Amino acid sequence: MNETIDPVWAWAEYQPTAHEPWDVRRAAHLFRRAGFGATRAELHAAVEAGSAATVDSIMQSTTEPSEFLKEVDALATATLATGDVQKLSAWWAYRMLATPAQLLEKMTLFWHGHFATSAAKVDDAQLMFAQNNLLREQALGDFSALLLEISRDPAMLVYLDSASNRKAHPNENYAREIMELFCLGEGNYTEQDIRELARCFTGWEIKREKFRFNRYQHDTGPKNVLGESGKFGGEKGVEIVAAQDAAPLFIATKLVTFFVMEEPQPTEDLIAPLAQELRDNDMQIAPVVRRILSSNLFCSNMAIGRKVRSPVEFAIGFLRSLEGSTNSYELAENLKTLGQGLLYPPSVKGWDGGRTWINSSTLLGRSNLIRHLLDSDKTRFGRESLADYLRSQGAQKFDDVIDLFEETLFAVKIPSAARDRVRQLAGNSGGEDKLKDAVHALCTLPEFQLG
Amino acid sequence: MSHSSRRQFLTTSAAATSVLTFGRRAPAFLQQAAADSQSDGRILVVVEMAGGNDGLNTVVPYTDDEYRKARPELAIGKSDVLKINDNLGLHPVMTGFADLLEAGHLSIIQGVGYDNPNRSHFESMDIWHTCQRKDENRIDGWLGRYLQEAGQATSSDPAGLHLGEDKQPFALMSRDARVPSIRSLDQFRLNGNETAAFRKAVRELADARRDGGNDLLSFVQSSTSSAITASERIEVAGMNYKPSGEYPSTALANKLQTVAKLINSGLTTPVYYVRIDGFDTHAQQDGAHQSLLRQVSDGVSTFLKDMMAHGHGDRILCLCFSEFGRRVAENASKGTDHGTAGPVFLTGTHVKAGLIGQHPSLRDLQDGDLKHHTDFRQVYATVLERWLKCDSKAILRGKFNPLNALPPT
Repeated sequence: MNETIDPVWAWAEYQPTAHEPWDVRRAAHLFRRAGFGATRAELHAAVEAGSAATVDSIMQSTTEPSEFLKEVDALATATLATGDVQKLSAWWAYRMLATPAQLLEKMTLFWHGHFATSAAKVDDAQLMFAQNNLLREQALGDFSALLLEISRDPAMLVYLDSASNRKAHPNENYAREIMELFCLGEGNYTEQDIRELARCFTGWEIKREKFRFNRYQHDTGPKNVLGESGKFGGEKGVEIVAAQDAAPLFIATKLVTFFVMEEPQPTEDLIAPLAQELRDNDMQIAPVVRRILSSNLFCSNMAIGRKVRSPVEFAIGFLRSLEGSTNSYELAENLKTLGQGLLYPPSVKGWDGGRTWINSSTLLGRSNLIRHLLDSDKTRFGRESLADYLRSQGAQKFDDVIDLFEETLFAVKIPSAARDRVRQLAGNSGGEDKLKDAVHALCTLPEFQLG
Repeated sequence: MSHSSRRQFLTTSAAATSVLTFGRRAPAFLQQAAADSQSDGRILVVVEMAGGNDGLNTVVPYTDDEYRKARPELAIGKSDVLKINDNLGLHPVMTGFADLLEAGHLSIIQGVGYDNPNRSHFESMDIWHTCQRKDENRIDGWLGRYLQEAGQATSSDPAGLHLGEDKQPFALMSRDARVPSIRSLDQFRLNGNETAAFRKAVRELADARRDGGNDLLSFVQSSTSSAITASERIEVAGMNYKPSGEYPSTALANKLQTVAKLINSGLTTPVYYVRIDGFDTHAQQDGAHQSLLRQVSDGVSTFLKDMMAHGHGDRILCLCFSEFGRRVAENASKGTDHGTAGPVFLTGTHVKAGLIGQHPSLRDLQDGDLKHHTDFRQVYATVLERWLKCDSKAILRGKFNPLNALPPT
């Protein structure tokens, strides 16, 4: 059915119509995909402002206010002093929850899944932090610059065993992954290209946690990489890889999968206009992200509610939509058990996402996480209890509560029979315990797993 | 378990689906495979050694000069190997496997691979899991296809179980059979309000059919429903099990002990899947590889002995594989890069013990890599036909000759 999506229609700017209006449902979809969700008030303001203005404001809010930066930097310094990478993961969860620059953080997460590096192996909070900052700095910037920087990033070199790469026996690991996973995709290079590119990277080392070039260990001979010949070093090697036609296509496909739809897999025809746009903009990321977020396809029923929420989207989204705050350390731990430990991707391929987020363990885990959040005395909603918060939002009756959840948190409508069943569970008393049970049941619905 | 949830579970598990839920008839050849399947309570435990195990330093050609030349740093000393014969020996830490071999319970299939080997972890693993190449439409795995068609329509137990916190293996994917992934038994339950009323509500909310049209929602719905049912079943399964010996305190051994617990508690699940990661040894291979091989060898041998002590020995076959071997020559970081053929292990009381096939020649290489002589699908055919007793052709998408690692039936 994917063949039937017309690329011209898909990427043209969405114009609200009577049939496809700019409403709370679409606004919520935009905020969920371009960030981690929004409150009811934010959604209603966005509907008022219009779709174009909302996308504009999302694209513009990509620098964090200095006061917020001061706060997260101070937190980072304190965290790094402990040397505990797990705590850094909590720091990032806090940042995601609290930052006003939602798109920037979402893109940083995207690149973390793309240039996946795990603290389980790197085991150095400072190096992981430096890489995280690098990803954030270039998150909406220049892909080629990011690719070169990540190729020399100490955390990455440790992760892919290139901490010392000697000319006599080059280590092929990074050469393979930069082509297979970071830039071109499988099938767009040969085994010979890997061996030759590995020679380009010889002499790239880490000394005292910093990248350094050791010219004595560099193979200065001629190489032949992806059809080009010369006495290339690593920088030129990266440049050749980034200049391949497959690169913009590969990156655009990943962006569409991340922001729009995971299934069916987008065809090359559908992606081509975006790849062209990336190439025309010298691999600048922001313009193509804007194009995606403003597009017909993005605002269509082929996109809304057609992705499985990642654990981060699930948990941070739940809290953010209800102005929630909680113990970040426990939150980060829980994300890990749900399959998305921040700074702990499962392999260099990152998270596969989609249906792979879902299995018996993670489904029970998701349900248990919501319960844990509801029961924890560290969790606050708008600095209040859940019941007080919901009342302050004008949700007096239990039906109002379901409405509020549906508006802010459900991409797929709650079936009316399920509404009735949850209402029955909540009973008439409306006490805090009943409310928790009802919310817990709502968040265990299959519908709640889609975003 | 209530009637409705039991029925719900059945409709989402194994072979029941194609007949009960959809009224869709399975192709005749697959029905035959299901009818032919008489596995007699036999169990298959798959141990995936993820990352590409260095087969050359696992089954070591210790007298071969080429081996020593290619690996000045990493070659294992002649006097250190656990000798299998005059040319080959197991890595010195694999005492558990050596014991199994001695007892006649370990079959070592050498030189396993496939044509045009792919050295990407992810692609190669997908090939092993699905028996299909990238240009084919891959939607299910070899075990998933087995469970889908030959699974147990009469049991409320899961058709397969994946133990681990990582994502579910592609090998277990199928159109309809939902295989639970279990991190640990303690966490495999719904927390919170424990009253029957709440549990009932949650189960009913998950079980309710949704309007059609959203495949993804149907998938999540059936997954949620089977998760809740499986957690109830496993909670009830009873945990009156004491291990016969002490399991090593490793993640792999923990998973295998959980498998032992479940088997012993009477679960009829025929397929268990566990994974151990870290075989991607590009740098400083020595210590890491040693530790990994020890975990596999000790973990699997403890598990098998435990199962024998509990009277389940004859029901167990364990398959240990990796997506590829490493290059013959070591690299500058005292590690090895991605290569090709490697050994596969089958353990159990039924196996034909010893070496199957020749060790791949170190003098006849292709681009510095070993040439395989046994297709991995022959190993699967052996398991499917001679252990699970079904027709392997449809499941493997082709006819592959079984090996004499297991006796013909």
